[in-house]
Amino acid sequence: MRAYKDLREFLSVLEQERQLLRIHDQVLPEPDMAAAACALTQIGEESPAIYFDKIAGFSSARVAMNVHGSWCNHALALGMDKDASMRDQFFEFVRRFQLYPGTLERVENAPWQEVVVDKDVNLYELLPLFRLNRGDGGYFIDKACTISRDLDDWNNDDVENVGIYRLQVKGRNRLGIQTVPQHDIAIHMAHAEERGEDLPVAIALGNEPIITLMGATPLLYDQLEYKMAAVMQGAPYRVVKTAKGLDIPWGSEYVLEGRVLCGRRETEGPFGEFPGYYSGCHKYPVIEIDRVSHRKDPVYDAVYVGRPWTEIDFLQAMTTSAPIFLQIKSTFPEVVAVNALYTHGLVVVVSTKIRYGGFAKYVGLRVLTTTHGLGYAKIVIVVDENVDPFDLKQVMWAMSVKVNPAGDIVTIPNLAENLLDPACSPGGIATKMIIDATTPVAPDVRGDYGEELDRPLGTDQWQTKLSGLVKEMRK
Amino acid sequence: MTVTSVRVAPTACPRCRSATLGVVGKSSVAGVWTIFSCSTCFYAWRSTEPEENVDPEKYPAAFRLRPEDLARLKVVPPVPRRRPSL
Ligand SMILES: [Zn+2]
Repeated sequence: MRAYKDLREFLSVLEQERQLLRIHDQVLPEPDMAAAACALTQIGEESPAIYFDKIAGFSSARVAMNVHGSWCNHALALGMDKDASMRDQFFEFVRRFQLYPGTLERVENAPWQEVVVDKDVNLYELLPLFRLNRGDGGYFIDKACTISRDLDDWNNDDVENVGIYRLQVKGRNRLGIQTVPQHDIAIHMAHAEERGEDLPVAIALGNEPIITLMGATPLLYDQLEYKMAAVMQGAPYRVVKTAKGLDIPWGSEYVLEGRVLCGRRETEGPFGEFPGYYSGCHKYPVIEIDRVSHRKDPVYDAVYVGRPWTEIDFLQAMTTSAPIFLQIKSTFPEVVAVNALYTHGLVVVVSTKIRYGGFAKYVGLRVLTTTHGLGYAKIVIVVDENVDPFDLKQVMWAMSVKVNPAGDIVTIPNLAENLLDPACSPGGIATKMIIDATTPVAPDVRGDYGEELDRPLGTDQWQTKLSGLVKEMRK
Repeated sequence: MTVTSVRVAPTACPRCRSATLGVVGKSSVAGVWTIFSCSTCFYAWRSTEPEENVDPEKYPAAFRLRPEDLARLKVVPPVPRRRPSL
Protein backbone atom coordinates (compact mmCIF):
# COMPACT_ATOMS: atom_id res chain seq x y z
CA MET A 1 0.00 0.00 0.00
CA ARG A 2 1.15 3.52 -0.67
CA ALA A 3 -0.34 6.97 -0.16
CA TYR A 4 0.79 9.21 -3.03
CA LYS A 5 0.38 12.79 -1.89
CA ASP A 6 -0.44 14.06 -5.37
CA LEU A 7 -0.39 13.37 -9.10
CA ARG A 8 3.17 14.71 -9.39
CA GLU A 9 4.51 12.16 -6.94
CA PHE A 10 2.78 9.36 -8.83
CA LEU A 11 4.11 10.61 -12.17
CA SER A 12 7.64 10.60 -10.78
CA VAL A 13 7.18 7.02 -9.57
CA LEU A 14 5.89 6.04 -13.01
CA GLU A 15 8.96 7.66 -14.52
CA GLN A 16 11.32 5.77 -12.20
CA GLU A 17 9.55 2.56 -13.13
CA ARG A 18 9.87 3.46 -16.84
CA GLN A 19 6.10 3.75 -17.12
CA LEU A 20 5.99 7.39 -18.20
CA LEU A 21 6.88 8.68 -21.63
CA ARG A 22 7.69 12.38 -22.12
CA ILE A 23 6.95 13.77 -25.55
CA HIS A 24 9.66 16.27 -26.40
CA ASP A 25 8.34 17.34 -29.81
CA GLN A 26 5.78 20.09 -30.11
CA VAL A 27 2.27 18.72 -30.63
CA LEU A 28 -0.97 20.24 -31.85
CA PRO A 29 -3.88 20.03 -29.39
CA GLU A 30 -5.85 18.35 -32.20
CA PRO A 31 -5.49 15.72 -33.44
CA ASP A 32 -2.06 14.89 -32.00
CA MET A 33 -2.84 14.47 -28.31
CA ALA A 34 -5.80 12.13 -28.65
CA ALA A 35 -4.07 10.26 -31.48
CA ALA A 36 -0.98 9.69 -29.36
CA ALA A 37 -3.06 8.53 -26.39
CA CYS A 38 -5.07 6.19 -28.62
CA ALA A 39 -1.91 4.81 -30.23
CA LEU A 40 -0.45 4.09 -26.80
CA THR A 41 -3.33 1.75 -26.02
CA GLN A 42 -2.56 -0.23 -29.19
CA ILE A 43 1.12 -0.88 -28.69
CA GLY A 44 1.10 -3.48 -25.99
CA GLU A 45 0.00 -4.60 -22.58
CA GLU A 46 2.45 -2.49 -20.62
CA SER A 47 1.72 0.90 -22.13
CA PRO A 48 3.10 3.83 -20.13
CA ALA A 49 1.54 7.14 -19.19
CA ILE A 50 2.30 9.97 -21.60
CA TYR A 51 3.27 13.55 -20.76
CA PHE A 52 3.07 16.57 -23.03
CA ASP A 53 4.57 19.94 -22.19
CA LYS A 54 5.12 21.48 -25.61
CA ILE A 55 1.62 22.07 -26.94
CA ALA A 56 1.17 24.52 -29.78
CA GLY A 57 -0.24 27.84 -28.66
CA PHE A 58 0.20 27.24 -24.92
CA SER A 59 3.05 29.13 -23.31
CA SER A 60 2.89 26.81 -20.33
CA ALA A 61 0.73 23.69 -20.30
CA ARG A 62 1.33 20.21 -18.96
CA VAL A 63 -0.96 17.33 -19.83
CA ALA A 64 -0.73 13.75 -18.57
CA MET A 65 -2.74 10.94 -20.19
CA ASN A 66 -2.94 7.18 -19.82
CA VAL A 67 -1.88 7.53 -16.18
CA HIS A 68 -3.95 4.42 -15.26
CA GLY A 69 -3.60 2.91 -18.73
CA SER A 70 -2.01 -0.50 -18.11
CA TRP A 71 -2.06 -3.21 -15.47
CA CYS A 72 1.45 -2.09 -14.42
CA ASN A 73 0.26 1.48 -13.83
CA HIS A 74 -2.88 0.21 -12.10
CA ALA A 75 -0.74 -1.95 -9.79
CA LEU A 76 1.58 0.97 -9.02
CA ALA A 77 -1.46 3.16 -8.27
CA LEU A 78 -2.46 0.59 -5.66
CA GLY A 79 1.11 0.55 -4.33
CA MET A 80 1.63 -3.05 -5.52
CA ASP A 81 4.47 -4.61 -7.48
CA LYS A 82 4.15 -3.48 -11.08
CA ASP A 83 4.11 -7.08 -12.29
CA ALA A 84 1.15 -8.05 -10.05
CA SER A 85 -1.34 -10.18 -11.99
CA MET A 86 -4.90 -9.04 -12.62
CA ARG A 87 -6.06 -11.75 -10.25
CA ASP A 88 -3.74 -10.54 -7.46
CA GLN A 89 -4.84 -6.94 -8.04
CA PHE A 90 -8.47 -8.03 -7.83
CA PHE A 91 -8.06 -9.86 -4.52
CA GLU A 92 -5.99 -7.04 -3.02
CA PHE A 93 -8.60 -4.48 -4.11
CA VAL A 94 -11.35 -6.64 -2.57
CA ARG A 95 -9.38 -7.08 0.67
CA ARG A 96 -8.92 -3.33 1.12
CA PHE A 97 -12.49 -2.58 0.07
CA GLN A 98 -13.75 -4.56 3.06
CA LEU A 99 -11.71 -2.42 5.48
CA TYR A 100 -14.09 0.53 4.86
CA PRO A 101 -14.30 3.11 6.42
CA GLY A 102 -10.95 4.86 6.74
CA THR A 103 -10.59 8.39 8.07
CA LEU A 104 -10.07 11.91 6.74
CA GLU A 105 -7.17 14.16 7.65
CA ARG A 106 -8.46 17.72 7.49
CA VAL A 107 -5.87 20.43 6.87
CA GLU A 108 -6.23 24.17 6.28
CA ASN A 109 -4.14 24.82 3.20
CA ALA A 110 -3.26 23.11 -0.05
CA PRO A 111 -0.96 23.87 -2.96
CA TRP A 112 -3.96 24.32 -5.27
CA GLN A 113 -4.74 27.58 -3.44
CA GLU A 114 -1.58 29.20 -4.87
CA VAL A 115 -3.28 30.93 -7.81
CA VAL A 116 -6.90 32.15 -7.68
CA VAL A 117 -9.01 33.45 -10.57
CA ASP A 118 -12.39 34.71 -9.34
CA LYS A 119 -13.39 37.11 -12.05
CA ASP A 120 -13.60 36.82 -15.84
CA VAL A 121 -13.08 33.07 -15.58
CA ASN A 122 -12.30 31.66 -19.03
CA LEU A 123 -11.94 27.88 -18.98
CA TYR A 124 -10.90 27.83 -22.66
CA GLU A 125 -7.76 29.73 -21.66
CA LEU A 126 -7.19 28.47 -18.12
CA LEU A 127 -7.21 24.76 -19.05
CA PRO A 128 -5.33 22.97 -21.85
CA LEU A 129 -8.51 21.63 -23.41
CA PHE A 130 -8.47 19.49 -26.55
CA ARG A 131 -10.89 17.34 -28.54
CA LEU A 132 -10.67 13.58 -28.03
CA ASN A 133 -12.80 12.17 -30.86
CA ARG A 134 -13.75 13.99 -34.03
CA GLY A 135 -17.51 13.82 -33.44
CA ASP A 136 -17.31 15.13 -29.87
CA GLY A 137 -19.54 18.17 -29.49
CA GLY A 138 -16.77 20.17 -27.83
CA TYR A 139 -13.98 19.97 -25.28
CA PHE A 140 -14.63 17.69 -22.35
CA ILE A 141 -13.08 17.46 -18.89
CA ASP A 142 -13.32 13.70 -18.41
CA LYS A 143 -11.09 12.69 -15.51
CA ALA A 144 -12.00 15.17 -12.78
CA CYS A 145 -13.73 14.49 -9.47
CA THR A 146 -16.97 16.43 -8.99
CA ILE A 147 -17.71 16.96 -5.31
CA SER A 148 -21.12 17.78 -3.88
CA ARG A 149 -23.14 17.59 -0.68
CA ASP A 150 -26.81 17.01 0.01
CA LEU A 151 -28.58 20.32 0.77
CA ASP A 152 -31.07 18.32 2.86
CA ASP A 153 -28.28 16.77 4.96
CA TRP A 154 -25.47 19.29 4.57
CA ASN A 155 -23.23 18.34 7.50
CA ASN A 156 -23.33 14.58 6.92
CA ASP A 157 -19.89 13.71 5.53
CA ASP A 158 -20.97 10.19 4.59
CA VAL A 159 -23.39 11.44 1.94
CA GLU A 160 -20.91 13.85 0.43
CA ASN A 161 -20.13 12.55 -3.05
CA VAL A 162 -17.00 12.38 -5.17
CA GLY A 163 -17.80 11.19 -8.69
CA ILE A 164 -16.32 11.29 -12.16
CA TYR A 165 -18.82 12.66 -14.62
CA ARG A 166 -18.06 13.92 -18.08
CA LEU A 167 -18.09 17.73 -18.22
CA GLN A 168 -18.46 19.59 -21.50
CA VAL A 169 -16.99 23.09 -21.59
CA LYS A 170 -19.87 25.07 -23.11
CA GLY A 171 -18.87 28.62 -22.40
CA ARG A 172 -16.12 30.59 -20.73
CA ASN A 173 -17.45 29.69 -17.28
CA ARG A 174 -20.08 27.14 -18.20
CA LEU A 175 -20.04 23.34 -18.14
CA GLY A 176 -22.54 20.66 -19.07
CA ILE A 177 -22.60 17.64 -16.76
CA GLN A 178 -23.68 14.16 -17.87
CA THR A 179 -25.54 12.41 -15.11
CA VAL A 180 -28.22 9.73 -15.07
CA PRO A 181 -30.74 9.30 -12.25
CA GLN A 182 -28.75 6.32 -10.86
CA HIS A 183 -25.73 8.52 -10.02
CA ASP A 184 -25.32 9.77 -6.45
CA ILE A 185 -24.95 13.38 -7.56
CA ALA A 186 -28.38 13.09 -9.21
CA ILE A 187 -29.87 12.70 -5.72
CA HIS A 188 -28.13 15.92 -4.62
CA MET A 189 -29.32 17.70 -7.74
CA ALA A 190 -32.89 16.50 -7.29
CA HIS A 191 -32.98 17.70 -3.66
CA ALA A 192 -31.59 21.09 -4.69
CA GLU A 193 -34.13 21.45 -7.50
CA GLU A 194 -37.02 20.42 -5.24
CA ARG A 195 -35.90 23.24 -2.94
CA GLY A 196 -35.53 25.67 -5.84
CA GLU A 197 -31.82 26.23 -5.15
CA ASP A 198 -28.57 25.98 -7.09
CA LEU A 199 -26.32 23.13 -5.92
CA PRO A 200 -22.75 24.13 -4.93
CA VAL A 201 -20.14 21.87 -6.53
CA ALA A 202 -16.38 21.74 -6.77
CA ILE A 203 -14.42 20.05 -9.54
CA ALA A 204 -10.99 18.74 -8.58
CA LEU A 205 -8.70 18.01 -11.49
CA GLY A 206 -5.28 16.36 -11.62
CA ASN A 207 -5.39 14.03 -8.64
CA GLU A 208 -3.33 11.23 -7.11
CA PRO A 209 -4.41 7.94 -8.66
CA ILE A 210 -6.53 6.39 -5.88
CA ILE A 211 -9.29 8.99 -5.60
CA THR A 212 -9.78 8.75 -9.37
CA LEU A 213 -10.41 5.01 -9.00
CA MET A 214 -12.79 5.66 -6.08
CA GLY A 215 -14.72 8.26 -8.10
CA ALA A 216 -15.28 5.52 -10.66
CA THR A 217 -16.43 2.93 -8.08
CA PRO A 218 -20.16 2.41 -7.52
CA LEU A 219 -20.16 2.92 -3.73
CA LEU A 220 -23.34 3.08 -1.70
CA TYR A 221 -25.01 6.47 -1.32
CA ASP A 222 -23.79 6.81 2.27
CA GLN A 223 -20.22 5.64 1.61
CA LEU A 224 -17.75 8.49 1.21
CA GLU A 225 -15.12 8.03 -1.52
CA TYR A 226 -12.43 9.71 0.64
CA LYS A 227 -12.99 7.14 3.40
CA MET A 228 -12.63 4.34 0.83
CA ALA A 229 -9.53 6.02 -0.63
CA ALA A 230 -8.06 6.04 2.90
CA VAL A 231 -8.30 2.25 3.23
CA MET A 232 -7.08 1.78 -0.34
CA GLN A 233 -3.92 3.81 0.33
CA GLY A 234 -3.46 2.63 3.92
CA ALA A 235 -3.42 6.15 5.41
CA PRO A 236 -5.97 8.85 6.30
CA TYR A 237 -7.07 10.82 3.22
CA ARG A 238 -5.94 14.46 3.30
CA VAL A 239 -8.57 17.03 2.32
CA VAL A 240 -9.10 20.79 2.48
CA LYS A 241 -12.50 22.48 2.74
CA THR A 242 -13.65 25.15 0.31
CA ALA A 243 -15.39 28.27 1.67
CA LYS A 244 -18.69 26.59 0.75
CA GLY A 245 -17.81 23.50 2.83
CA LEU A 246 -16.91 20.96 0.16
CA ASP A 247 -13.94 18.66 0.84
CA ILE A 248 -11.23 18.73 -1.83
CA PRO A 249 -8.18 16.46 -2.17
CA TRP A 250 -5.13 18.25 -0.77
CA GLY A 251 -3.14 17.18 -3.81
CA SER A 252 -5.37 18.43 -6.65
CA GLU A 253 -3.82 20.52 -9.41
CA TYR A 254 -6.90 22.61 -10.33
CA VAL A 255 -10.12 23.25 -8.39
CA LEU A 256 -13.17 24.74 -10.14
CA GLU A 257 -15.94 25.99 -7.84
CA GLY A 258 -19.44 26.73 -9.00
CA ARG A 259 -23.11 25.82 -8.97
CA VAL A 260 -25.39 23.41 -10.80
CA LEU A 261 -28.06 25.79 -12.04
CA CYS A 262 -31.50 24.97 -10.66
CA GLY A 263 -33.93 23.63 -13.25
CA ARG A 264 -31.63 24.28 -16.25
CA ARG A 265 -31.06 21.70 -19.00
CA GLU A 266 -29.09 22.39 -22.17
CA THR A 267 -27.82 20.54 -25.21
CA GLU A 268 -24.84 18.36 -24.33
CA GLY A 269 -22.76 15.93 -26.37
CA PRO A 270 -22.11 13.86 -28.23
CA PHE A 271 -19.06 12.34 -26.57
CA GLY A 272 -17.20 9.18 -27.60
CA GLU A 273 -18.20 6.88 -24.74
CA PHE A 274 -16.97 3.69 -23.09
CA PRO A 275 -19.00 1.21 -25.21
CA GLY A 276 -17.00 2.41 -28.23
CA TYR A 277 -19.86 4.55 -29.60
CA TYR A 278 -20.81 8.20 -29.48
CA SER A 279 -23.37 9.02 -26.81
CA GLY A 280 -25.70 11.23 -28.87
CA CYS A 281 -27.04 14.57 -27.59
CA HIS A 282 -29.32 15.13 -24.62
CA LYS A 283 -30.47 18.06 -22.51
CA TYR A 284 -28.30 17.79 -19.42
CA PRO A 285 -27.78 20.02 -16.35
CA VAL A 286 -25.47 23.02 -16.44
CA ILE A 287 -22.76 24.22 -14.05
CA GLU A 288 -21.65 27.85 -13.80
CA ILE A 289 -18.07 28.30 -12.56
CA ASP A 290 -17.38 31.26 -10.24
CA ARG A 291 -13.80 30.60 -9.22
CA VAL A 292 -10.79 28.62 -10.43
CA SER A 293 -7.83 27.85 -8.19
CA HIS A 294 -4.71 26.06 -9.29
CA ARG A 295 -1.13 25.28 -8.48
CA LYS A 296 1.71 27.08 -10.17
CA ASP A 297 2.44 25.21 -13.40
CA PRO A 298 -0.56 22.90 -12.97
CA VAL A 299 -0.68 19.44 -14.55
CA TYR A 300 -3.88 18.63 -16.43
CA ASP A 301 -4.98 14.99 -16.46
CA ALA A 302 -7.24 13.46 -19.11
CA VAL A 303 -8.42 10.00 -20.13
CA TYR A 304 -8.69 8.98 -23.78
CA VAL A 305 -11.88 7.04 -24.49
CA GLY A 306 -12.04 4.99 -27.68
CA ARG A 307 -13.05 1.61 -28.93
CA PRO A 308 -12.05 -0.70 -26.04
CA TRP A 309 -9.46 -1.21 -24.69
CA THR A 310 -8.39 2.26 -23.72
CA GLU A 311 -7.46 3.84 -20.41
CA ILE A 312 -11.08 4.15 -19.29
CA ASP A 313 -11.34 0.35 -19.24
CA PHE A 314 -8.71 0.26 -16.48
CA LEU A 315 -10.63 2.87 -14.48
CA GLN A 316 -13.76 0.70 -14.66
CA ALA A 317 -12.09 -2.69 -14.14
CA MET A 318 -11.43 -3.65 -10.52
CA THR A 319 -13.66 -0.79 -9.40
CA THR A 320 -16.57 -2.64 -11.06
CA SER A 321 -15.53 -6.24 -10.34
CA ALA A 322 -15.01 -5.83 -6.59
CA PRO A 323 -18.45 -4.46 -5.62
CA ILE A 324 -20.22 -7.10 -7.75
CA PHE A 325 -18.11 -9.85 -6.17
CA LEU A 326 -18.80 -8.68 -2.60
CA GLN A 327 -22.53 -8.38 -3.24
CA ILE A 328 -22.87 -11.86 -4.75
CA LYS A 329 -20.64 -13.39 -2.11
CA SER A 330 -22.93 -12.13 0.64
CA THR A 331 -25.66 -14.36 -0.85
CA PHE A 332 -23.50 -17.15 -2.27
CA PRO A 333 -20.25 -17.67 -0.33
CA GLU A 334 -19.29 -20.28 -2.96
CA VAL A 335 -18.35 -17.52 -5.42
CA VAL A 336 -14.57 -17.42 -5.97
CA ALA A 337 -13.91 -14.39 -8.19
CA VAL A 338 -15.62 -11.96 -10.59
CA ASN A 339 -14.23 -10.51 -13.80
CA ALA A 340 -16.25 -7.48 -14.91
CA LEU A 341 -13.35 -5.93 -16.84
CA TYR A 342 -14.94 -5.85 -20.26
CA THR A 343 -16.75 -2.70 -21.38
CA HIS A 344 -17.67 -1.67 -17.86
CA GLY A 345 -19.04 -5.12 -17.03
CA LEU A 346 -21.54 -5.49 -19.88
CA VAL A 347 -20.04 -8.99 -19.87
CA VAL A 348 -19.29 -10.57 -16.50
CA VAL A 349 -17.41 -13.82 -15.84
CA VAL A 350 -17.98 -15.44 -12.45
CA SER A 351 -16.20 -18.47 -11.06
CA THR A 352 -17.93 -20.43 -8.36
CA LYS A 353 -17.98 -23.67 -6.44
CA ILE A 354 -21.09 -25.65 -7.31
CA ARG A 355 -23.37 -26.57 -4.43
CA TYR A 356 -25.57 -28.95 -6.45
CA GLY A 357 -26.77 -29.50 -10.00
CA GLY A 358 -28.40 -26.38 -11.44
CA PHE A 359 -26.73 -24.03 -8.96
CA ALA A 360 -24.62 -22.08 -11.47
CA LYS A 361 -27.64 -20.51 -13.14
CA TYR A 362 -28.74 -19.02 -9.79
CA VAL A 363 -25.29 -17.46 -9.44
CA GLY A 364 -25.77 -15.96 -12.89
CA LEU A 365 -29.18 -14.60 -11.94
CA ARG A 366 -27.73 -13.09 -8.79
CA VAL A 367 -25.18 -11.15 -10.88
CA LEU A 368 -28.09 -9.56 -12.74
CA THR A 369 -29.65 -8.39 -9.47
CA THR A 370 -26.53 -6.69 -8.06
CA THR A 371 -26.62 -2.90 -8.22
CA HIS A 372 -24.23 -2.97 -11.17
CA GLY A 373 -26.13 -5.85 -12.77
CA LEU A 374 -29.32 -3.81 -12.89
CA GLY A 375 -27.78 -1.26 -15.23
CA TYR A 376 -24.85 -2.94 -16.98
CA ALA A 377 -24.33 -6.73 -16.77
CA LYS A 378 -26.01 -8.16 -19.87
CA ILE A 379 -24.13 -11.40 -20.53
CA VAL A 380 -23.02 -13.49 -17.55
CA ILE A 381 -20.66 -16.43 -18.02
CA VAL A 382 -20.49 -18.76 -15.03
CA VAL A 383 -17.40 -21.00 -14.77
CA ASP A 384 -16.19 -23.59 -12.29
CA GLU A 385 -14.04 -22.70 -9.31
CA ASN A 386 -10.90 -24.12 -10.98
CA VAL A 387 -11.28 -21.80 -13.98
CA ASP A 388 -9.62 -18.41 -13.49
CA PRO A 389 -12.15 -15.86 -14.76
CA PHE A 390 -9.31 -13.39 -15.47
CA ASP A 391 -7.62 -15.86 -17.84
CA LEU A 392 -9.68 -15.74 -21.02
CA LYS A 393 -7.90 -18.82 -22.41
CA GLN A 394 -9.37 -20.79 -19.54
CA VAL A 395 -12.77 -19.13 -19.91
CA MET A 396 -12.88 -20.00 -23.63
CA TRP A 397 -11.94 -23.60 -22.80
CA ALA A 398 -14.86 -23.78 -20.39
CA MET A 399 -17.17 -22.22 -23.00
CA SER A 400 -15.90 -24.71 -25.61
CA VAL A 401 -16.42 -27.93 -23.68
CA LYS A 402 -18.80 -27.29 -20.81
CA VAL A 403 -21.58 -25.57 -22.72
CA ASN A 404 -24.37 -27.35 -24.52
CA PRO A 405 -26.61 -24.55 -25.77
CA ALA A 406 -29.62 -26.86 -25.43
CA GLY A 407 -29.54 -26.54 -21.66
CA ASP A 408 -26.93 -23.95 -20.72
CA ILE A 409 -28.23 -20.71 -22.21
CA VAL A 410 -30.86 -18.75 -20.32
CA THR A 411 -32.23 -15.53 -21.79
CA ILE A 412 -34.54 -13.14 -19.99
CA PRO A 413 -36.27 -10.63 -22.23
CA ASN A 414 -36.82 -6.91 -21.65
CA LEU A 415 -34.75 -6.11 -18.58
CA ALA A 416 -33.57 -2.62 -17.64
CA GLU A 417 -30.18 -1.68 -19.10
CA ASN A 418 -27.99 1.41 -19.26
CA LEU A 419 -29.03 3.50 -22.25
CA LEU A 420 -25.38 3.93 -23.30
CA ASP A 421 -25.45 0.23 -24.33
CA PRO A 422 -26.10 0.57 -28.07
CA ALA A 423 -27.68 -2.90 -28.26
CA CYS A 424 -30.67 -1.77 -26.18
CA SER A 425 -34.02 -2.02 -27.91
CA PRO A 426 -35.79 0.19 -27.08
CA GLY A 427 -33.22 2.44 -25.32
CA GLY A 428 -32.82 1.38 -21.70
CA ILE A 429 -34.19 -2.15 -22.28
CA ALA A 430 -32.28 -5.31 -23.28
CA THR A 431 -32.58 -9.08 -23.20
CA LYS A 432 -29.98 -10.55 -20.87
CA MET A 433 -28.23 -13.92 -21.05
CA ILE A 434 -26.64 -16.36 -18.66
CA ILE A 435 -24.20 -18.91 -20.07
CA ASP A 436 -23.68 -21.83 -17.71
CA ALA A 437 -20.11 -22.94 -18.52
CA THR A 438 -19.73 -25.11 -15.44
CA THR A 439 -19.50 -28.90 -15.49
CA PRO A 440 -22.94 -30.41 -14.85
CA VAL A 441 -23.14 -32.21 -11.50
CA ALA A 442 -25.91 -34.48 -10.18
CA PRO A 443 -28.81 -34.31 -10.42
CA ASP A 444 -28.03 -32.32 -13.59
CA VAL A 445 -26.59 -35.36 -15.40
CA ARG A 446 -26.17 -33.92 -18.89
CA GLY A 447 -23.07 -34.67 -20.97
CA ASP A 448 -20.42 -37.35 -20.72
CA TYR A 449 -17.57 -35.73 -18.88
CA GLY A 450 -15.65 -38.54 -17.19
CA GLU A 451 -12.35 -37.41 -15.74
CA GLU A 452 -10.86 -33.98 -16.39
CA LEU A 453 -7.12 -33.87 -17.16
CA ASP A 454 -4.81 -32.77 -14.40
CA ARG A 455 -1.08 -32.07 -14.42
CA PRO A 456 1.73 -34.62 -14.05
CA LEU A 457 3.22 -35.00 -10.57
CA GLY A 458 6.01 -32.47 -10.03
CA THR A 459 4.80 -29.88 -12.59
CA ASP A 460 4.87 -27.06 -10.02
CA GLN A 461 8.49 -27.74 -9.02
CA TRP A 462 9.49 -27.97 -12.67
CA GLN A 463 7.74 -24.69 -13.36
CA THR A 464 9.74 -22.87 -10.69
CA LYS A 465 12.99 -24.48 -11.88
CA LEU A 466 12.40 -23.81 -15.57
CA SER A 467 11.31 -20.19 -15.08
CA GLY A 468 14.64 -19.57 -13.35
CA LEU A 469 16.59 -21.32 -16.12
CA VAL A 470 14.76 -19.47 -18.88
CA LYS A 471 15.42 -16.12 -17.16
CA GLU A 472 19.11 -17.07 -16.83
CA MET A 473 19.32 -18.13 -20.47
CA ARG A 474 17.87 -14.79 -21.68
CA LYS A 475 20.08 -12.54 -19.55
CA MET B 1 4.44 18.61 -36.39
CA THR B 2 3.80 22.22 -37.23
CA VAL B 3 0.99 24.68 -36.86
CA THR B 4 -0.69 25.04 -40.22
CA SER B 5 -2.51 27.85 -41.98
CA VAL B 6 -4.41 30.67 -40.35
CA ARG B 7 -7.88 30.36 -41.82
CA VAL B 8 -10.39 33.08 -42.55
CA ALA B 9 -12.81 33.91 -39.77
CA PRO B 10 -15.79 31.52 -39.81
CA THR B 11 -19.31 32.79 -40.40
CA ALA B 12 -21.35 29.69 -39.50
CA CYS B 13 -21.21 26.93 -36.92
CA PRO B 14 -19.69 23.84 -38.59
CA ARG B 15 -22.20 21.58 -36.83
CA CYS B 16 -25.59 23.37 -36.92
CA ARG B 17 -24.75 26.14 -39.43
CA SER B 18 -26.21 28.86 -37.24
CA ALA B 19 -24.57 32.26 -37.43
CA THR B 20 -24.60 32.47 -33.62
CA LEU B 21 -20.89 32.09 -33.08
CA GLY B 22 -18.21 34.00 -31.29
CA VAL B 23 -14.62 33.91 -30.20
CA VAL B 24 -14.30 32.39 -26.73
CA GLY B 25 -10.58 31.86 -26.35
CA LYS B 26 -7.18 32.69 -27.80
CA SER B 27 -3.85 30.94 -27.49
CA SER B 28 -1.55 32.35 -24.82
CA VAL B 29 1.18 32.34 -27.46
CA ALA B 30 -0.31 35.08 -29.63
CA GLY B 31 -1.71 34.21 -33.03
CA VAL B 32 -1.45 30.41 -32.91
CA TRP B 33 -5.11 29.56 -32.56
CA THR B 34 -8.57 30.88 -31.71
CA ILE B 35 -11.43 28.93 -30.16
CA PHE B 36 -14.96 29.61 -31.43
CA SER B 37 -18.21 28.48 -29.92
CA CYS B 38 -21.80 28.35 -31.15
CA SER B 39 -24.43 29.61 -28.70
CA THR B 40 -27.19 27.62 -30.45
CA CYS B 41 -25.77 24.08 -30.21
CA PHE B 42 -22.71 24.70 -27.95
CA TYR B 43 -20.31 23.21 -30.46
CA ALA B 44 -16.79 24.55 -29.95
CA TRP B 45 -13.78 24.34 -32.24
CA ARG B 46 -10.25 25.54 -32.55
CA SER B 47 -9.01 27.20 -35.71
CA THR B 48 -6.12 24.74 -36.04
CA GLU B 49 -8.25 21.58 -35.96
CA PRO B 50 -8.59 19.24 -38.96
CA GLU B 51 -10.90 20.70 -41.62
CA GLU B 52 -13.80 18.39 -40.85
CA ASN B 53 -14.10 20.03 -37.44
CA VAL B 54 -13.94 23.65 -38.60
CA ASP B 55 -15.44 23.82 -42.07
CA PRO B 56 -19.26 23.57 -42.31
CA GLU B 57 -18.90 22.07 -45.79
CA LYS B 58 -16.68 19.29 -44.51
CA TYR B 59 -18.30 18.66 -41.16
CA PRO B 60 -19.30 14.94 -41.13
CA ALA B 61 -22.99 14.38 -41.89
CA ALA B 62 -23.28 11.87 -39.04
CA PHE B 63 -22.57 14.55 -36.45
CA ARG B 64 -24.58 17.45 -37.89
CA LEU B 65 -27.43 18.94 -35.90
CA ARG B 66 -30.41 20.99 -36.99
CA PRO B 67 -31.25 23.88 -34.65
CA GLU B 68 -34.96 23.04 -34.90
CA ASP B 69 -34.30 19.52 -33.51
CA LEU B 70 -32.58 20.69 -30.35
CA ALA B 71 -35.80 21.36 -28.46
CA ARG B 72 -36.79 17.71 -28.93
CA LEU B 73 -33.71 16.23 -27.22
CA LYS B 74 -34.40 14.04 -24.22
CA VAL B 75 -34.15 15.86 -20.86
CA VAL B 76 -32.02 13.89 -18.38
CA PRO B 77 -32.65 13.83 -15.49
CA PRO B 78 -36.16 15.28 -15.56
CA VAL B 79 -36.60 18.48 -13.52
CA PRO B 80 -38.43 17.54 -10.31
CA ARG B 81 -41.44 19.39 -8.97
CA ARG B 82 -40.71 22.15 -6.42
CA ARG B 83 -41.56 21.36 -2.81
CA PRO B 84 -44.36 23.52 -1.44
CA SER B 85 -42.76 26.46 0.39
CA LEU B 86 -43.17 26.33 4.16
ZN1 LIG C 1 -24.04 25.24 -33.69
